[in-house]
Amino acid sequence: MSKHPAWRDTIIAVVVLIIVLVIPLLHRSPAFEDFIIRLSAMALFATSLNLLVGNTGMVSFGHGMFYGFGAYAFALTMQMTELSLPVAAVIAVVATAFAALCVGAICVRLSTEYFAFITLAVQMLFYSIIISWQSLTGGDQGLRGGIPRREFFGFELESQLHLYQFCAIVGVLGLLALRHISVSPFGQTLRMIRDNEDRASFLGIVLWRARLSAFTIAGAFAGLGGVLAALFVSGAYPEFADWPNSGQAIFAVMLGGIHSFLGPVVGGMILLALNDLVTRYTEYHGLILGIVILIFAVGLRRGVLDFIKLIRLGRAR
Amino acid sequence: MTRTRKPGLSRRSTLALMGAGAATFAAPWVARADSKKLMIGMQSILSGPIALLGTSSRNALLMEQDRINAAGGFLGRQIEFVFRDSKGQPQEAARLARELVNTNGCELLVDAEASSGAFAVQEVVRSLGVPCIHTNSETSSLTADPKIRAPTAFRVARQGVHDAVAGSIYLSGYANTNKINKWATCAPDYAYGRDTTAQYLEFFKKFKPDIEIVTEAWPKLGQPDFTEVITKLIQAKPQALFTLLYAGDLSAFVNQGNIYALFAQMKVATPNVDYPVLAAIKNLPAGIQSATRYLETFPDTPANKAFGEAYLKRWKERPTNWSWQNTVAMQFYEAAIKKANSLDGKALAAALTGLKINTPFGVDGTITMRDDHTTINYAIGWGQTTPKPPFIVDVKPSDWGKIIEYETEWKKQQKYI
Repeated sequence: MSKHPAWRDTIIAVVVLIIVLVIPLLHRSPAFEDFIIRLSAMALFATSLNLLVGNTGMVSFGHGMFYGFGAYAFALTMQMTELSLPVAAVIAVVATAFAALCVGAICVRLSTEYFAFITLAVQMLFYSIIISWQSLTGGDQGLRGGIPRREFFGFELESQLHLYQFCAIVGVLGLLALRHISVSPFGQTLRMIRDNEDRASFLGIVLWRARLSAFTIAGAFAGLGGVLAALFVSGAYPEFADWPNSGQAIFAVMLGGIHSFLGPVVGGMILLALNDLVTRYTEYHGLILGIVILIFAVGLRRGVLDFIKLIRLGRAR
Repeated sequence: MTRTRKPGLSRRSTLALMGAGAATFAAPWVARADSKKLMIGMQSILSGPIALLGTSSRNALLMEQDRINAAGGFLGRQIEFVFRDSKGQPQEAARLARELVNTNGCELLVDAEASSGAFAVQEVVRSLGVPCIHTNSETSSLTADPKIRAPTAFRVARQGVHDAVAGSIYLSGYANTNKINKWATCAPDYAYGRDTTAQYLEFFKKFKPDIEIVTEAWPKLGQPDFTEVITKLIQAKPQALFTLLYAGDLSAFVNQGNIYALFAQMKVATPNVDYPVLAAIKNLPAGIQSATRYLETFPDTPANKAFGEAYLKRWKERPTNWSWQNTVAMQFYEAAIKKANSLDGKALAAALTGLKINTPFGVDGTITMRDDHTTINYAIGWGQTTPKPPFIVDVKPSDWGKIIEYETEWKKQQKYI
């Protein structure tokens, strides 16, 4: 292990960010740019879920609600106020964190199975509220009218290039923050709770407090992913907060690897690329996606990065 | 020297995998560079329970593709559609619209999404500035609300407010003739059902102030069993029922209603009868008051009949309302491109605004694209069902003068103008 893992991670993040930002200066490809914008949202969404699933052992089926909450909070703030875009984004993330804190306060003390059920139940409740509160959310037609893209620090997000740069920066910085949380003493504590909660408890760790903190942080980052998604589609839709969207994040985590920090990012890439490719050729996309997931589940029995890690460990021995 | 095979992925297989991946991702870009054809993107719901929306739109567009190419294409270029399935998800609809333009190199868009998808596509069109015609969204605000209207996006589809005015005028006359005051309503429990029912009732009460709504039923979309809805309606003893159920829900409701003799106990009115619905109903009761979404015999012209027959011959099924709307969208593109001599978004928008075309689906053989980017003068009529073809008879065309008069009043109420 490196002497200064925090610096190593930061340097990797900066290098990746520079590469991503330089690519459009050398060659413009709107399709690639769209892919990175969507991946930024998906990566934050799935990696934040993995903070719960992989790090803490809390399988949440309702994570999509925070993704949707972030998208709606941001879009509504932009539509109803004259605040600048970064301020609206911060408000959306803080509001989502508060929502996650409230939901977490109910859920985190429950055992694994009931925790999973109750997160799903709360998500369905939140989804129903979006559908029913038509005057605010636009109901099942979504929040229409577009999101005003007020200029800030020279960023004009009407421009595809600026939107790409903004999403790439937010995505990479968000992932870096999640990485630091994951390897911090707090992250180690979460892993200890996952592996042996009794031992963690005997060591004086207040389990519910640590879990609630993890749940709130994960919710906030999912909300940040929702902000990027709202910018991409210029609106917010109830599907963001519906259970199939939570399923997407779970698939991304499982496909990429639950025990690797970048696993959900790789899983998200696979899911998005699969969706984009398969829908070009067939209407039976669900069938193809099911087969691919089956291959991973039955064939590799783990996510891609976990599989590669296993092979490298095998070689080292 | 012997070489042992190490476990795991070899360098060669890794390179092969990367190569295959790169080739797969590069394919669309290569295809784009290779093509001189004019690509037109079409997105809709092509899978799931309401796939008929997309498939009957696609069928019509393929017929138009053949016709236009046989006539020399657009600006001398042959046209080719790229079809994509949004699965009815608005965020996927937005993504696809961008992909069609950015990756597939589509220069024109035909957005055949249902309303929620159409609103998502509208925002993408606004930011890309690409020409787009929405062909299936009936929600009036898409083009009526100036905040939502986009400079290069137009709508070629029937509109909720037009249908509500036309239907209310017809039904108030029918209610007066038959002395019907007690009504029940039954509509799917989501925005379309609730909003459109409210809009119909608003106009209905304007034309016949003494109506009374004795019960309302809100079944879920795609609900398989309507027993509780049917018994609720029968128990309320209305003189007539107004329903906005559509597609499979409407045929299931009529089939199940027949078992309870619902149609013998009350008059029924619906604006949503289409050929595939009729095909799915086992015993179509006579005398349901029905609007014509698409009917070969209305307008009763050789051109309209020829369209219906050609569609039936090619696809072995009859066209839907969505089929004619997509056909007219291509007719508008054809006329506008000829007029503008360009594919540029702004030039086409200028050409489309106020454009009047000859088409079999206009009430007088023409349809006009109004300056608020939506069509008027398409065929709207009301008649009554009969169990055998032509299925709807005694069709009375709606008065477009009245429709526009009350639409303008509604737009003022909504502060759109």
